[in-house]
Amino acid sequence: MKKQVATIGIEMHCELKSNSKVFSSAKNAYSETPNMNIAPIDMAFPGTLPVVNKKCVEDALKASIILNCNQPEYLVFDRKNYYYPDLPKGYQITQMTEPIGINGKIEIEVGEEIIPVYIHDIHLEEDSASLDHFFDTSNIDYNRSGIPLLELVTEPCFHSAEETSAFIEHMIRVYRYLGISDADTKKGQIRCDVNVSIADEDSNELGIKVETKNINSIGGVIGTINYEIERQTKLKEEGRYSEIVQETRRWDEESATTIRMRSKVDAIDYKYFIEPNIPKFKVNEEWLKKIKASIPRLHLERKQDYIKNYGLSSYDAEVLIKEKDVSDYFEECLKLGIEAKSASNWITTQILGYINKNNIAIHDLYLTPLKLKELIGELNKGTISSKQAKEIFIKANEEKKEIKAFLSKDNAQLSDKEELTKIILEILANNQAQIEEYKNGRTNIFDYFVGQVMKQTRGKANPVLTKEILTEKLK
Amino acid sequence: MDKSILELHDLLKRGKITSEELVKEALRKSHEVEQKYNAFVTICDDAKEIKVTDSLVSGIPFGVKDNYSTKDVLSTGSSNTLKNYVPFYTATVVQKLLDAGAVMVNKTALDEFGMGGTGTTCHTGPVLNPWDKTRMCAGSSAGSACAVASGVYPFALGSDTGDSIRKPAAFCGIVGYKPTYGMLSRYGLFPFASSLDHCGVLTRSVIDAAIVTDIMKGIDKNDMTSWDSSNIHLKEALTGDIKGKKLFYIKEICDITNYPNATAELKSHLKNYFHTLELLKEEGAEVEEVSIDQNLLNAIPSVYVVISCAEATSNMSNLTGIIFGPRSEEKNVFKMMKDHRTIGFSPLIKRRFVIGSYVLQKENQERYFKNAERVRRLIVDKMKELFKEYDALILPVSSGPAKKFDEDKDVIDENTNVLEEHLQIGNFGGFPSITIPNGFVNNLPVGINITGNCYDDENILNIAYTLESKMPYKGQIAKEVQ
Amino acid sequence: MNKFTKEMVDDYAEKLLIGLTDEENKLVLDEFEAIDKSIDLINKIPNIAEIEPMTHALDDFTYELRKDIAEPSIPIEDALRNAGKTDGREIEVPKVVD
Repeated sequence: MKKQVATIGIEMHCELKSNSKVFSSAKNAYSETPNMNIAPIDMAFPGTLPVVNKKCVEDALKASIILNCNQPEYLVFDRKNYYYPDLPKGYQITQMTEPIGINGKIEIEVGEEIIPVYIHDIHLEEDSASLDHFFDTSNIDYNRSGIPLLELVTEPCFHSAEETSAFIEHMIRVYRYLGISDADTKKGQIRCDVNVSIADEDSNELGIKVETKNINSIGGVIGTINYEIERQTKLKEEGRYSEIVQETRRWDEESATTIRMRSKVDAIDYKYFIEPNIPKFKVNEEWLKKIKASIPRLHLERKQDYIKNYGLSSYDAEVLIKEKDVSDYFEECLKLGIEAKSASNWITTQILGYINKNNIAIHDLYLTPLKLKELIGELNKGTISSKQAKEIFIKANEEKKEIKAFLSKDNAQLSDKEELTKIILEILANNQAQIEEYKNGRTNIFDYFVGQVMKQTRGKANPVLTKEILTEKLK
Repeated sequence: MDKSILELHDLLKRGKITSEELVKEALRKSHEVEQKYNAFVTICDDAKEIKVTDSLVSGIPFGVKDNYSTKDVLSTGSSNTLKNYVPFYTATVVQKLLDAGAVMVNKTALDEFGMGGTGTTCHTGPVLNPWDKTRMCAGSSAGSACAVASGVYPFALGSDTGDSIRKPAAFCGIVGYKPTYGMLSRYGLFPFASSLDHCGVLTRSVIDAAIVTDIMKGIDKNDMTSWDSSNIHLKEALTGDIKGKKLFYIKEICDITNYPNATAELKSHLKNYFHTLELLKEEGAEVEEVSIDQNLLNAIPSVYVVISCAEATSNMSNLTGIIFGPRSEEKNVFKMMKDHRTIGFSPLIKRRFVIGSYVLQKENQERYFKNAERVRRLIVDKMKELFKEYDALILPVSSGPAKKFDEDKDVIDENTNVLEEHLQIGNFGGFPSITIPNGFVNNLPVGINITGNCYDDENILNIAYTLESKMPYKGQIAKEVQ
Repeated sequence: MNKFTKEMVDDYAEKLLIGLTDEENKLVLDEFEAIDKSIDLINKIPNIAEIEPMTHALDDFTYELRKDIAEPSIPIEDALRNAGKTDGREIEVPKVVD
């Protein structure tokens, strides 16, 4: 058999962050308590109407712009009609006729390589309610009903699980950088449908595509793709390719396999039509310009910048851009004039260590870039040792006190020449025998004197200054 | 209760009557009309009088079609699928009337969810015509038309997707007005076909329709299709001066020669219509004949059926008995939903759903649904072109007076003619459209309709008001003739 | 012409979660024939495919989108008061299985 090439396309759903839901004013938030965040339309009470949330549209447009999609002239929504107990209206409001973005293309990093990814479309829609299953009943919770979802549909342009997962990870970062979603897979905020087909290496045509729906982890996506490639290749090898049919499967975490749900023959006709309750809304150039202007620099651009213009290692740059908040903190440091490598070192070691250990966000850190600058300044001046700087960093954060507070007598280095001289003379007066030895050539006894000074000052004596004074007095 | 809003307001203000008396009288009359004509789903016996203020409707009773959501009052849409549904919120337009001090005394019966033109498919049974109990009121706002015509109160809310306010108004000898789409919020109106649905009012005079609409209109944050009409003042626009106004009628609809087999009834209906046009001319208005492509006109009923059924089948997908409505005992959840729908919907609605679903199927959508929407545009564009030259379109309502119960016209057949269905043009374009009484044919009331361009409600109402003043039917109360 | 069949009508009804009697089925078939004939006329209108479908009653409409402000939830009693079966704060249905 010829070598097989897999072709993969995905649909990626992402929950958007907003105060209110996409078509209702109910709060958009996860709640342990069922039916806490509900507007009448979220339960489809007769006579209720959808009202579009501007922020959700703007956020979807941001994603559309980043993906280099074409934006529609008019914002239009469609109804996708089907019956399911978790769909109160009996239809989902989504976008089919005029998605918020079509025909996009972006480049992503896969390992050392850069590959293009082609976007079929990206559209804004609403989530369904959630079901809890019991022995012979199910309970319906409408908190999730109407939560904004951004659905991204790629062309079949990936050829491995690695490429596909790299894209998903890339998009998760994009969403976080745009600030439009937390894109937290653990909270089910990212869900993917994956289409896999295989074909002979030299074939111009794609094979039969098999769809696996509703995978809620990147591990699941990778597992699905690898399993499907293996399953389909094996069937083909055995001359049973006809058994691969256009169908819908689901990923079973436990057995690490995909399981058939329904065949294409049972496919639902969603009877899409334009939502008449939402008038067409003009997407004008001025609005788009404003939205464009609000888009921050994304992670890849920042990474290149850090390496090229600030001489950071690829590793450090990667650590810095992993989270936008961290990268923003770093850039704030640069703006304040902190030397890039110094800022990078502080962030990648002290700061990340501290916030991870204490489970706080970097923007909640007491030691803001401005305060960090002060601390680094003291260190550079030599008023504190690097060990002290690290201690002050932790104390300042814990006690939420200004750096100055820790530069007091107790903590600051003893750098006052007069005072230090006084202490040294006192020590020398009590160590006449040792002075004799020193003067007789036992120069290594010099360290003994330094040790005595340190002991007397509990380590706070400025070591440089101490040596300087000692050398002079022992002449 | 046979008086106009202004008369009642004046009497209330002068202390000649009290709101309490009015409410009691409206309730007494409601029970009487219910018994005779089966017009209501609910009579609010606990309705309380209200303090009279400067608002013209304060202290005055009114009725609400049962497809409006009313807090703590049963709201069924005249369907078994919602026969026990008690909403927790009130529709915007109803709330505005309540806020103005009007007193809701009953919920009126309708063709199930407004999907019918006969007043015979209400889950509480058919509504009888107060002029002749062997006849229909037409629908779907049958109960509202019957009650206003019977003098239960001066006004009731209706809704209009094809002609559901304007046809029953004609058959009951009263005024029926649906303003431009979006002037009245649809929030709380149980949807039939959202792109065609209009709220509106049934009254016994044009000025009452203007007063009530002035109170109900306005932009609503809960309805994206509503718009700011604060610069429109309907009542103030009723000057009675229509000099120089230009109206047109459609030759293919009105000319008797189009109907070679015309009945005597139809002949006298059209004759009566043309006679009324003369009254407009007496007031200095021009009325001209315009010819429109017959094919376009013939398409109206199908365009309406295709679009309205398609939207309806989707709009009523929420009726599964899960969140509201009587629940089936089926142990399988999908069977439970199906059972609710199979038992709950009347045969007429079920048929329309199947049609709606068919025309939306992927493989059929271009041929049926999208082409219907395209012809809708052709018709609307043609009308808008004419409205550049003319102030309004004036046409007879229906082919005569109310039909007998044994002449059910709701099954869509090939013989359906444009004369019966042309009011749907007003829904296609969201045009303001008002029917006023136009005398009698065979002792039964008939109506005449005036339709104008979007946002031109003041002009349309003023024309209707002026014409009404030339005829003796303003404020008429139904008298049983048979 | 067997463009429309009883089976087809039943299939559509089933997908709408609706049961039809034979009599109702027959009525749908008759209506289909009538509509189809009329649609044939529509399809004969020259250049019909080039016309933009009219999807809203008003399409010369400008408006503002809603500001992203959350409002209080409806009370749980209101949410559940019309439901046939509830369990705590949720609506209960027979077990949903794919």
